[in-house]
Amino acid sequence: MKPLSYVQVRTAREAIEAFVAAGESARYIAGGTNLYDLMKLGIEKPAHLIDIADLDGANRIDTDGDRLFFGGAALMADVAEHPVVRDDYPVLAESLSKAASQQLRNMATVGGNLLQRTRCPYFRNGADGTYPCNKREPGSGCAAIGGIDRSQAVLGASAACNAVSPGDWPVALMAMDAAVELQGLDGTRVIPISELYRPPSRTPHLEFTIGREEIVTGISVPKTAAGRNSTYLKVRDRESYAFALVSAAVALEMDGDRVRQAHVALGGVATVPWRGRPAEAVLRGETLDRGRALEAARAAFAEARAGRHNAFKIELGARTLADAIINAGSRNQ
Amino acid sequence: MTPNRNADRPRIDAHEKVLGRALYAADQPFPGLLHAMTVPATIAKGRILSIDTAAALQVPGVVRVFTHDDFSQIRTTPAARGAYGQPGKGHQPMTAPQVRHRGEPVALVVAETLEAAVEGAEAVTVRYAEESFSARMDDDLAGPEPEAAGQLASGDAEAAFANAAHIVDVEYRHPQQHHNPIELISTTAAFEDGTLRIYEGTQSAAAFAGGLAGMMGMEPQALRGVSPYTGGGFGQKNGVQEQSVLVASAALLLRRPVKLVMPRGQLFHTASYRPQSRHRVRLAADGNGRLLAGIYETVQQNSRYDGFGSDHGANPPRMYGYGAWRGSERIVRVDTQTPGHQRAPHEHPASHATECALDELAGALGMDPVALRLANDTQRDPITGKPFSSRHLADCLRRGAARFGWERWTNQPGALVAGNGDRIGLGVACGSYKAAMTPSVTTLRLSAGGQCRIATSGHEMGQGLRTVIAAELIDVLGVDPGKLDIRIGDTGHAPQHLTAGSWGAGSAAPAARAAALKLREELSQLTGAVLSDEPVHVQLARTRRPYLEVSVDTVPLGKDRQAIEQLRRGMPVTTGPEYPDFLAFSWIAHFAEVHVEPSTGRVRVRRVVSVADCGRVMNRRTAESQVRGGVVWGIGAALREAGECDPRFGGVLNNDLADYVVPVNADVGAIEVDFIDEPDTRLNLSGVKGLGEVAMVGAAAAIVNAVHNATGRRIRHLPIRIEDLL
Ligand SMILES: Cc1cc2nc3c(=O)[nH]c(=O)nc-3n(C[C@H](O)[C@H](O)[C@H](O)COP(=O)(O)OP(=O)(O)OC[C@H]3O[C@@H](n4cnc5c(N)ncnc54)[C@H](O)[C@@H]3O)c2cc1C
Ligand code: SF4
Repeated sequence: MKPLSYVQVRTAREAIEAFVAAGESARYIAGGTNLYDLMKLGIEKPAHLIDIADLDGANRIDTDGDRLFFGGAALMADVAEHPVVRDDYPVLAESLSKAASQQLRNMATVGGNLLQRTRCPYFRNGADGTYPCNKREPGSGCAAIGGIDRSQAVLGASAACNAVSPGDWPVALMAMDAAVELQGLDGTRVIPISELYRPPSRTPHLEFTIGREEIVTGISVPKTAAGRNSTYLKVRDRESYAFALVSAAVALEMDGDRVRQAHVALGGVATVPWRGRPAEAVLRGETLDRGRALEAARAAFAEARAGRHNAFKIELGARTLADAIINAGSRNQ
Repeated sequence: MTPNRNADRPRIDAHEKVLGRALYAADQPFPGLLHAMTVPATIAKGRILSIDTAAALQVPGVVRVFTHDDFSQIRTTPAARGAYGQPGKGHQPMTAPQVRHRGEPVALVVAETLEAAVEGAEAVTVRYAEESFSARMDDDLAGPEPEAAGQLASGDAEAAFANAAHIVDVEYRHPQQHHNPIELISTTAAFEDGTLRIYEGTQSAAAFAGGLAGMMGMEPQALRGVSPYTGGGFGQKNGVQEQSVLVASAALLLRRPVKLVMPRGQLFHTASYRPQSRHRVRLAADGNGRLLAGIYETVQQNSRYDGFGSDHGANPPRMYGYGAWRGSERIVRVDTQTPGHQRAPHEHPASHATECALDELAGALGMDPVALRLANDTQRDPITGKPFSSRHLADCLRRGAARFGWERWTNQPGALVAGNGDRIGLGVACGSYKAAMTPSVTTLRLSAGGQCRIATSGHEMGQGLRTVIAAELIDVLGVDPGKLDIRIGDTGHAPQHLTAGSWGAGSAAPAARAAALKLREELSQLTGAVLSDEPVHVQLARTRRPYLEVSVDTVPLGKDRQAIEQLRRGMPVTTGPEYPDFLAFSWIAHFAEVHVEPSTGRVRVRRVVSVADCGRVMNRRTAESQVRGGVVWGIGAALREAGECDPRFGGVLNNDLADYVVPVNADVGAIEVDFIDEPDTRLNLSGVKGLGEVAMVGAAAAIVNAVHNATGRRIRHLPIRIEDLL
């Protein structure tokens, strides 16, 4: 049998040391809901697992200061059900409660969620050599391009990869200008979530900007009144237990009935959690009606490029975003 | 005898199952059990040039790696035919260096642990010479075949169509679907008492064991097939699986028990599936909505090497009193594994096409689709002219319409709007399924202590067959359910017929009933008096006999004693729908209410009302559950499920239950079920017609028709996905 070592550690420092000592084939593991899956599919083949789900304080949820703080190992379920998150930041709560299933959310962590890998079927299902995939086997080609690309991205794709960034939570965090706290060999640093993800360009196997040994110790979100006027709308192939075909995270800073600043992000349609700046620009200073919302939504998709079977995502994405804008607006009291 | 016939009883094995005590095929404990894993072919067609097993053999724990070199003596014999005696098993993987479809096993790694077997399988490297192929019906290299003989026809349908005032001429398409029962397909082979026993959650223990024996060149008796429970079969477990003979041969060669549980991802390529099909439907009616003609032409996908035929044409002409009819079926061969029977195998796709076309005709006529169906009700089969044994389809429609609130229906699409702005659509469709029966050899033993043991033919796949058998024994003998021992699915206890095609209850219930009646008769002869109301075992005890055993052969209507011989030889013997004096079908009407979100086109099935005529209802609880399950399958077919084929690679892209989208609870609205519950005693002693299959027939069509009623859009393919309604 392939030897597989497993250690549980209590501090980030210990984890990093164990990781570095173990070398190339080390992986952190938190809830394991993505990593074990990828191991069974023959995509991830770690020889050393360093369990960081029980690091001291890593599941902390703190809503007292001027930022919301979620420890990297806080459970999706706990964050989704936290009263402050649920009542004052529905976009965050909904992005979590509409993801996976209750059983998975009871295991999965909000830190691990940021680093989950794509659901591109050619990536997941072809590790035995059936399908070429640049993400799995750099340079082997991309089976999704020219194939069944219904699930694939219409924004941010490259000639090497059009796989969708799968998570819902990162999309909500993107809209809310969240920051990610990292701890590495040289101490800690904080980056905006928008800097965590790499577009595929010519190196789709490089998905994240963080160092291999770096740990996501926390995620923080600036507190804002816009949190209340927010929503996460997700459209999928079934009503639950499915990844997004398209999703929209919207939070609105309002001035009476006018939008001072909209925060818009898109999921299911792009290779990275996608900020919808053009939509934000259209909404700035405007009152909300369906026509305006749709105009803004279409602006967010102005640069979208369809493949063979995913053109519907452009129209569906725009309509979903428009619905989300109206929803968020209707939460403004 | 108590008349409490369709009691609402919990399943007799519910407790065992809930506690996890029911041992399924893969749960059987054997000392020294070895674990196997297959290596799937990564090409769609070609030859194996070489297989390198060296690395796999280095994996600690790996005992042996089998390849086609080890199994070239395995034969494909008639005994290995698939269900229904279809000619088949034209190809058994790993008997030659040939790959005929993607994902077929090319090597089998056997190891002391599952982990070692998996790792060993990953370490095997295979070199191939690829050949060109076609995996889809519409590809250039696909092989169309001429129309099969024996198509159903009556009158001059073409002429009637040409002269009719109102017609529709439409094509409906059905995708490839995969059964995905929750119990994975597995095979465990072990020597017990000198014979090789094969544990598999099969729907056909005898044909399966006999088929395996034939393939391995053994006497049929040398092999015992045991199917303790089947965790959902739906037709996918009705034949010899691609891995069955490989595991049995491995156990034989290694003289140790071997188990293989096929991973779900591989089952998309090794197990059967519902083939793709196209359906052109032409219907003609006069101004009063009387159906003058139906012309129904279908094309169905098949593999290159097996004879899985098409049978779409059997039911539609029996649904209504068509003036004239012509059917036509063809198959197209492609490079995939052989498709097979999947719940309502042809009846469901056929009902999708014809019941939606009928809805289109109602539209063309400006008629209420319920009224159109009622206007064409018939008590005679338009093809043979024979009557139906029983047909309460009009009552199903009327009762369903009343319960559903069909009076809300209007022919203006989108006229009904929900409080949240969703457009409400109402749809109706009907279905039928042949009432079939099979022979059985039944032994029933009553002990003076009250124990009652029955051995008969049948497989428990979750449909509640044990409960049905129990119901008859309780009904006739008043025995204590807690003292029942029901032995089915095991060729060691009684000859086993394939359980499928909704003939399970219609065969097992009359068999159990006949045995119970015979036991009463013999007991009364023993006691020399008419039996009293006292428990039967008490009356038996008084005769000072430890037990009384009877044996009964049940020969289904229209067959003779030969059927029993065929059964003993593991051959399929089924009846229906045509019997000497009548045709027999179960019938159903489904009513569906969908809500469509205007901005996104999301469809939600809010409510379905289904009323079935399945003869006598044996057990209200399991019967309702069957229908609910059938409706959920209808929802899946209408809105969710499809095998996705990338023609460049062959096979399907789906690999798990995330990307083969089956409905989840949130997709399933209220399902209300009712039954006509009129025993059909012309058919059998128990008055049972069968329910598991008919439950699904028409369910998808009702939903599709409701989607049209909500949106005005006719989507003529399944599944209807969000992009279809944008
Ligand atoms: C059936 C199914 C359905 C799902 N549906 C959805 C859905 O609809 N929407 C959605 O958003 N998600 C969905 N998911 C994905 C799920 O949310 C993720 O698998 C989960 O969030 C990952 O968290 P985890 O703690 O289990 O991570 P793990 O599996 O433990 O780890 C994932 C990756 O992150 C790394 N890692 C974990 N924690 C850290 C850390 N703190 N610092 C650095 N690296 C770390 C690991 O090394 C690994 O590479 C689904 C998953 C499944 C299995
Ligand atoms: S889209 Fe990306 S992940 Fe999918 S097959 Fe292509 S390279 Fe691989």
